[in-house]
Amino acid sequence: MDIGFNFTLGNTLPMVQRFRDEGLIDYCELLIDNFLQVPPHDLAEALDCPVGFHIMFSRFIEADRAQLRDLASQLRPYIEQLKPRYVSDHVACFSHQGRQLYHLAEIDYPTAYAQVREQVLFWQEQLGMPLYLENYPSILDGGHDAPAFFQQLAEDTGARMLFDASNAVCAWRNCGVPLTDWLPHIDATPHFHVGGYNVSVLEPRLILDTHDSELADDTLDYLRQWRTRFDKPGATLTYERDNNLDEASIARDLRRLRAVFCEEPAPCALTA
Amino acid sequence: MCADRLIDQDLLPALLAPARQADYPRDSRAFVRIDTSLRVYWHTLFDICPSLLTLAPPDGLALFRPWMAWAEQQQVSMNWTFYLWVAAWLEDSPFAGQLTDAIRLELMAASAARWAMADRSRALGVALASPRLADTLVLGWKNQRVDGGREVECLELDAPLPPAPAPFGYFVLAQVDQDDFPGWQALPR
Repeated sequence: MDIGFNFTLGNTLPMVQRFRDEGLIDYCELLIDNFLQVPPHDLAEALDCPVGFHIMFSRFIEADRAQLRDLASQLRPYIEQLKPRYVSDHVACFSHQGRQLYHLAEIDYPTAYAQVREQVLFWQEQLGMPLYLENYPSILDGGHDAPAFFQQLAEDTGARMLFDASNAVCAWRNCGVPLTDWLPHIDATPHFHVGGYNVSVLEPRLILDTHDSELADDTLDYLRQWRTRFDKPGATLTYERDNNLDEASIARDLRRLRAVFCEEPAPCALTA
Repeated sequence: MCADRLIDQDLLPALLAPARQADYPRDSRAFVRIDTSLRVYWHTLFDICPSLLTLAPPDGLALFRPWMAWAEQQQVSMNWTFYLWVAAWLEDSPFAGQLTDAIRLELMAASAARWAMADRSRALGVALASPRLADTLVLGWKNQRVDGGREVECLELDAPLPPAPAPFGYFVLAQVDQDDFPGWQALPR
């Protein structure tokens, strides 16, 4: 298992380079939206390691096709030059009746399926490579429909999951989606995400995918319990931290992840 | 499966509307889900423009709630122009007397930065102007360096441009050294 870190803002470059030089990461994942005015050669030279691409704001399910064509034509030179190990995007609801949601919402999987399928096929064609799609950190009961949705989507489009293990833990904690429901998806993809979560301010407490803290024990247990199914040739696991960018804290989590994939399995506290 | 199945899509109208939160019991997951969404709008406003808190201390809610209600009524898209529409609303609000040019500039700079983060066209920059701040141009630039970030600058113009339309005018820049004026575009809602 290769361990990576998400590179989202240019001012974190020195930290990312230190992680690379100290052997804490094997690759880095670019939030490529934020670098579309940076020459691809400059990115390749500064990072000097394998990369993955994560697209945050294509809004490919909702965007019109002219916009997607234009965005793809901006992305392709980066794909050609940096040769990312994967290109990933989000299955989520970015707006309601034309008004932007700042906290993204979960789609209604059965109702949205046909539209998502068509847009995935189009977006993959434009990008010239298969997509890896991230699961939403479900808060409400719609999360129960997600595993079957992604299964069908993979069969119909070839798009596999960028499986976010901590998002699955959020969905389990919030509405009881069994962690084992995702095992076929874990088997089917080599690309994974993980990050810290936090709890809502108000009660009843909800688990929120905040990327602002260290990994929770249940998330590490999940990886540990199924590590032989996560790990496979070419596998990547990106640690996401977008807030509270404390270098020592991030380094601790990167070491924890490296330990998970090189130690013997430990007793697991999870019952799901 | 949870009893009384509730999904995100059931709550969409309330995720942008503080007034609708009261339609749900205070101790329900729906209430907290809506609260989680509304907090992001609050932080987007006051974390980026902290001087707005001085208009409605201590928590800004006396400003936030009527702004969000107006934005819903007007179907403001909440895209990169978010802060500009806040400014436009403030000018006609009970807070108008407390507005200063520094707050107006803070809101313009916030929208310029948001454009630089959110725009997916090939444009490199955006220029904003207000008829209330003659000869001042706020520029936002997308990140152009691997170790850089988006940048915002404020220019005092030696050679005035034609007056910007109310409440704001803007144009996009294809390159850093662009010196032609393509004309003002009206602010999209």
